[in-house]
Amino acid sequence: MRIVVDRPRCEGHGLCEEAAPRLMHLDDDGELVLDREEIDEADAALANAAVRVCPVAALRIA
Amino acid sequence: MTTPPTSDVDLFADEVVLDPYPVYAELREQGTVVHLLKNDVYALTRYAAIRDALMDWESFSSTSIAFNPMANEALTGTSLASDPPVHTQLRATLTENLSPRALRGLKGRIEAKADVLVAELVEKGSFEAIDALARAFPLEVVADLIGFTGHVRDNMLRWGQAAMQVIGPMNQRTAESFPIAGELYAWCSQVKASDLAEGSVGRGIFDAEARGAIPPDTAGHIIHQYLGAGVDTTVAAIGNVVALFAAHPDQLDLVRENPSLVPAAFNEVLRFWPPVNAWGRRATRDVEIDGTVIPAGAQIAVLLGAGNRDPRHYENPDAFLVERNPVDHLSFGYGPHGCAGQGLARLEAHAVIEALSRRAKRLVVGPEVRVPSNITRSIEELPVLEVIPA
Repeated sequence: MRIVVDRPRCEGHGLCEEAAPRLMHLDDDGELVLDREEIDEADAALANAAVRVCPVAALRIA
Repeated sequence: MTTPPTSDVDLFADEVVLDPYPVYAELREQGTVVHLLKNDVYALTRYAAIRDALMDWESFSSTSIAFNPMANEALTGTSLASDPPVHTQLRATLTENLSPRALRGLKGRIEAKADVLVAELVEKGSFEAIDALARAFPLEVVADLIGFTGHVRDNMLRWGQAAMQVIGPMNQRTAESFPIAGELYAWCSQVKASDLAEGSVGRGIFDAEARGAIPPDTAGHIIHQYLGAGVDTTVAAIGNVVALFAAHPDQLDLVRENPSLVPAAFNEVLRFWPPVNAWGRRATRDVEIDGTVIPAGAQIAVLLGAGNRDPRHYENPDAFLVERNPVDHLSFGYGPHGCAGQGLARLEAHAVIEALSRRAKRLVVGPEVRVPSNITRSIEELPVLEVIPA
C-alpha cells in the first residue's frame, strides 16, 4: 500500500505529520513530503491515522 | 427504506440556540436523519453520517449552506457556496494567502501579541474576558493581517457578527442583520489596495490580483470571506477557552503540567462547544442514510455540535477532557469545504491557551451571559473575578 497526496487540495495543515511523523513531514516551505513511498504492514495503522486526520481530505491510501 | 422520523423541535428557537445539547441528544436518539417540520430541514445528527456527508459533495451541495434563500443568493459564486469543479479554483484562490503554508511567518508575532495581552490581564487580576480577550485578540490579529485601519477596524465585530447571523432562517435576527451584513459587502466591493496597510496579507491579495495569480475582481470578495467567516467564530472559540478552563481547573492543571497538550486542549474546546453548531447543504438526489431516504432537493442541517457529542464515536462525550485530543472533531467541517481559516484559528487559539496556561493557575469567573444567535454560539459576557497567577 502507499499514501497518495492530492497536491492541489493539500494546504499544509500538518496534522498528518503529527499523526505519523515517521512517514511524512512538512518541508521548510510548508510542502508535504512523503518519506516512505511504500507503506508496510507495520506502519499501516499510522498511515490510516494520517489519512483520517487530514482536515481537507487531501490524503488517501492506494 | 422509510421516510426519516419527524420532530417539532425548532432548531433556531432562543432556548435551543442558547443550549442545544439536550435537543441534540434527543434528535440523535430519534435517528441519524430527523425531519424537523418547523424548519423544514432534514437534520443529520450522528458523527459518521455527518462526516460522510461533508465529504460527499456530489450528494450534498453547498449551494444552500444558509437557511434562507436571500443569503444563499448573496453567497453565489463564493468558494463557501459552490461545488467542484468551480469550487476547486475558488478555494485555491481563497487559501493562497490563508493556508498554514502562507501564514508560517506570522506565528511568532501572534504568539508575542497573545502573551503581552494575557500578561496584562493576569497582572490586572480581574477583567471581562469577552471584550478584553476573546474579542480584542482576534480583532487585532485579523485587522493586522488584512491591513485594516480606521473605521473598518471599528466595524469588524458587528460586520462579522451580522455575516454569520444572516446564515440562519428568515427570522427577526436575520432580518435585522441583513443591512449590517450589507455594509460589509458594500465596503468589500469598493476596497482598494491603497486602503490596506503595506506589507499586510490583504495588500498581498491585491498584489496577487494585479499580477494575475488570482482572477480579476476577486480580492474584495476574498477579504469579505476572511471577515465574514473569521471574526465571530474565533471570538466564540477564545471565549469558550476561558470559560471551559475556569469551569474545569483540573483540565487547566493538565495543560499547565504538560504544555504539549495545548493543541489537544483546543481540539477538545472545539469539540465540546463548537462556534458553529449547524450548517446547511442541499440534497442533489434522493439520499439513503441508515435505511431512511432524504428526498432530492431537501434542505439539510448538518448538526456539527450533535456529531461532536455522539457516544457512538466519542466515549463519555459530555465530559470535557483535554487528554482525549479529538483531532477528528467536526467543528471545522471536513473535506473540500473544511474551514479555510483553521490554520489561522489554530495559531490564535494555541497562542492564547499557551499564554494563559503558563501565566494563570486558576480563573475564578462569575456567571456567563449568552444572547441567542442563529449560527454562532458564543458567550456575550464573562467576568473573570480573580486570576490566581502561576
